[in-house]
Amino acid sequence: MTKAVHRRAFAGIGLAAMVATAALVAAPSQAAGPRDQLREKFDKSLKGKTVAWSPVWMGVLESEWTRVMKDRFDDYGIKLVTRDANMKSDIQLQTVSDYINDKPDVIVVQNPNVTLLAKELKRAMDAGIYVVQVNMASNTLTDAYVGVDAKDLGTKIAREVINQCGGGKGSGEVAILEGEATAAYSLDMKNGAMEVFKTDPSIKVVSSQPTSWDANKAGDITTTVLQQHPKLCGILSVWGPQTAGAAQAIKAANMGDKVKVFVASDGQPADCDLLEQGAFSANLSYRADVQGQTIADAVIALLQSGDKPGAKNIAYYTTPAWVKSKDDRMYCFSIPKGAK
Amino acid sequence: MKSLQRAWHRHSPQLFLGELLEKRWMEPIIPFTLTIAVFLAFAIMIPRYLTAGSLQELMRNFAEQGMVAVAMAFSVLSGGIDLSVGAVFAMSNFLALYLYLILGLPLPVTIVLVVLFGAAMGAINGGLIAYGKTRPFLTTLVVLIIVRAAYNKVTVAFTNELASIDSGSSTWDFMGSGRVLGIPFNMLVLILLAVGTHFFLTRIKPGVHIMAVGSSRKAARHAGVNVKRVLFSAYVMSGAIAALAGILYAARQSSSGTDTGVGWEINALAAVVLGGISLAGGRGTIARAVMGAAIIFMLTSGMVRLGISGNLTTAIIGIILLLAVGFNVKWVKNKGKVLQKVYVTPSWVDFEPPPSVERGSGTPFAENDRLKNAEAIALNMIEGPEDIILDRKDNLYTVNRNGSIIRFLAPDYTVREEFARIGGRPLGLAFDRDQNLLVCIAGMGVYGVKPDRSVFKVTDRTTRTRTRLKDDSRLYLADDLDVAPDGKIYFSEASTRYELTDWALDGFEGRGNGRLICHDPKTGTTRTVLKNLTFPNGICISHDGQSVLWASTWLCQINRFWIAGPKAGTSEILIDNLPGYCDNINRASDGKYWLAFVGLRTPVYDIAMRNPVFRTRMVKQIPPDEWLCPGINYGCVVKFDDNGAVTESLWDPGGLSHPTITSVREHKGYLYIGGLENNRIGRIRLQDADPTWEAHKSYWGGA
Repeated sequence: MTKAVHRRAFAGIGLAAMVATAALVAAPSQAAGPRDQLREKFDKSLKGKTVAWSPVWMGVLESEWTRVMKDRFDDYGIKLVTRDANMKSDIQLQTVSDYINDKPDVIVVQNPNVTLLAKELKRAMDAGIYVVQVNMASNTLTDAYVGVDAKDLGTKIAREVINQCGGGKGSGEVAILEGEATAAYSLDMKNGAMEVFKTDPSIKVVSSQPTSWDANKAGDITTTVLQQHPKLCGILSVWGPQTAGAAQAIKAANMGDKVKVFVASDGQPADCDLLEQGAFSANLSYRADVQGQTIADAVIALLQSGDKPGAKNIAYYTTPAWVKSKDDRMYCFSIPKGAK
Repeated sequence: MKSLQRAWHRHSPQLFLGELLEKRWMEPIIPFTLTIAVFLAFAIMIPRYLTAGSLQELMRNFAEQGMVAVAMAFSVLSGGIDLSVGAVFAMSNFLALYLYLILGLPLPVTIVLVVLFGAAMGAINGGLIAYGKTRPFLTTLVVLIIVRAAYNKVTVAFTNELASIDSGSSTWDFMGSGRVLGIPFNMLVLILLAVGTHFFLTRIKPGVHIMAVGSSRKAARHAGVNVKRVLFSAYVMSGAIAALAGILYAARQSSSGTDTGVGWEINALAAVVLGGISLAGGRGTIARAVMGAAIIFMLTSGMVRLGISGNLTTAIIGIILLLAVGFNVKWVKNKGKVLQKVYVTPSWVDFEPPPSVERGSGTPFAENDRLKNAEAIALNMIEGPEDIILDRKDNLYTVNRNGSIIRFLAPDYTVREEFARIGGRPLGLAFDRDQNLLVCIAGMGVYGVKPDRSVFKVTDRTTRTRTRLKDDSRLYLADDLDVAPDGKIYFSEASTRYELTDWALDGFEGRGNGRLICHDPKTGTTRTVLKNLTFPNGICISHDGQSVLWASTWLCQINRFWIAGPKAGTSEILIDNLPGYCDNINRASDGKYWLAFVGLRTPVYDIAMRNPVFRTRMVKQIPPDEWLCPGINYGCVVKFDDNGAVTESLWDPGGLSHPTITSVREHKGYLYIGGLENNRIGRIRLQDADPTWEAHKSYWGGA
């Protein structure tokens, strides 16, 4: 046989193979029912996709989100990339910029403050990447937001403070422990609370200071506030772990019976423990594991939507619940054994 | 086998190593290598690390940290430390956002105001440190705490405004995310800043003064530097640079968080130390600070990109920095010692037994007493007359250890005057046709003094050897010179590896470290004629003007290099295996040449010259005052002719009045004797010499 014949023969085989493959691919979908088609479409939009995840750091909350997401994504064949910025905003900006260069399919991000990543998130969507923001939003609206309605949380918690400290039930003196002042979660919650406090003349906000999410700093601030305002009735803290420091300071000042601690938190076990020990008076809790599920849901919804990134802004608000006693333990999650 | 050993000692890799270590750029070799290594390591480990986008991101994120390191470097180089850079940086970041985006001031005004703020913080630091004499560490620590506290206050006060910041004008965006020729704008600023500050610290007076004050405050003060003002300016610069970094950071990040600039002073300090900048001040470059910062930055960002958890990253970086800094500090500290150990690289020199110098041995070298009763001129009025020369009016010129040319007036040479002061260590002398006195100056080059006593530079550099690591274009050790009939100046450079004071070390090497150089005054060019000569010393143009005679001290040879006639451009050995170490050669009245022996060979030193390993061990293992040195406590002068025959010798036995004779000059029937370390010039009457002969006539004719 000559070379030319060879080539033609191969071409023929190639063509036949292609036809056969096409037939094979087409065949089952024709044969199978709509439920199989659904799974097929699902797999087609999800398998081999990459989700790039940029948390502020890898705390208990973020680890739980990551654990749940990973479980789900592993199941669907989605690759999850994680980089821990370890509370350094410059590193997180760098991380998100790198992500955009690497062109994943979805970027999931927890914003350290409302401005830092605003431009980059827009750039990401322009580059064809879906962006999901988690619990701490930025000034840029993206494809999805999963997390609490921080302002609503602030409103609710402030009403509880008024309930217990306002209207003559207490001195009415309240201190607010913010997280990072310009983080949406802290900023919006504080603003929500302040709006409510302004409506009640019996409440006086004596201090509102950021703790950088740090228990030590919250402890220091609380110590100072207690010295300056010995009649303090309540502390409103935006997040559980930092509040542990405040509770410690109150205990050290022997004012545990006078000062009530109101906290909003992500339902990590320690929050419920502290409440049961009496360190917290009330905890407006949402569960990180539930949020983790929702993040995964938001991601797979976007991947299947066929929308252009930036086309819609869907919010998945988490529903909080009050934890006031041992009986409300179900509003805290428990870290499964074996999870790292 | 022996030839192999000889070849090994001739081309010893130690030579290369020694000259490599001597290079100033070898000091930052550790940070430099580490920078490259870290970069390559991440390039291999991280996919797409080398793509344009990734590199741009790296540069963009690095720039401000680099700048803060430069700011820190300023204070450290001045001999202090500026811990407030991180806080000033953060505050400037806030101020830029506040003034421009919240108050809506024009951008140029904002930039000027913020830089002024940084400079003002620097002025507080500098004012307290320079004029209040407070300690830099504590002062800047206090400023750090105050500025940081103020920062925390204002960011809380303006939380809502800061949270609603929208991006500014396109210029602002360009500062934050723009690119010029693919280089991020902030990186470009860093590059310009680094180049500018490097230039400032090395070439511009106020900058050089910062380095001077950092090196030694006392010496700087003695040199007339206004130490206080210089210190003050160093901190002002530091503050202003940190502020500039804050502005660029603001344009890029549009946010002012509680973590902004936290710990940046520590990173900057680590960068400076890692770059090998001495915390004692005065030693280091801006480039090193930037390299140090780059290493830290790449490690941090690289490990984050590898997905290593935050705390582990911090720990790993800590360990790497500790190791690198420890190693680097050791290196910077001990490089000098290592260099000392490896620099001296003796070669293999074989000697035949020389002709006898014993009294009564019948050789022309036999010891006699002809110099014993030399008349002492200028006794104790001169230090180290290495060479002497007489002018047409019989005045006597000589060189002095302190860098001046001394003239003793004829006829009795008791009046001493400083003819010219040049500096360096003047050595060989010669008159040119116009009676300009030309002089070789160790450490400077070749200079001239006109009859009106004005000094001019003849040359201080020659062609560089391209294949050699060491920059040998500058003249290290110009030794002796003479002027050819066409006006070209031929001079010897004894060694390109050692200074004059280390001549003995060059002797231990016995290596071709020197060269014969020619300067043509007509074209102003200087070029190396012969290189790899073993300590070329005396230079003399032959009586016929066709060749240059040059003496090799350590090889005890007289060589002839033809500059005219049929053999022009070739060289030959005229006399070999002389019993003494040759120094200057000068014309004699009878058509022969006078040659000074700076020392005499000894059998034991001859053996040592055959044994490079022995000499290496000697230099490394025993103190200098116990080294075996060439014997220079003799006084001997010989005369030889154009055929290479030595005809007579003149001795000062034991070198009582004239040890270490480096030059003899005949003038009108007298012989004048000079010595490198002597306190006098000797003179004897030559019985059978032409009493009217003078060198100038011999060279340039005339009555």
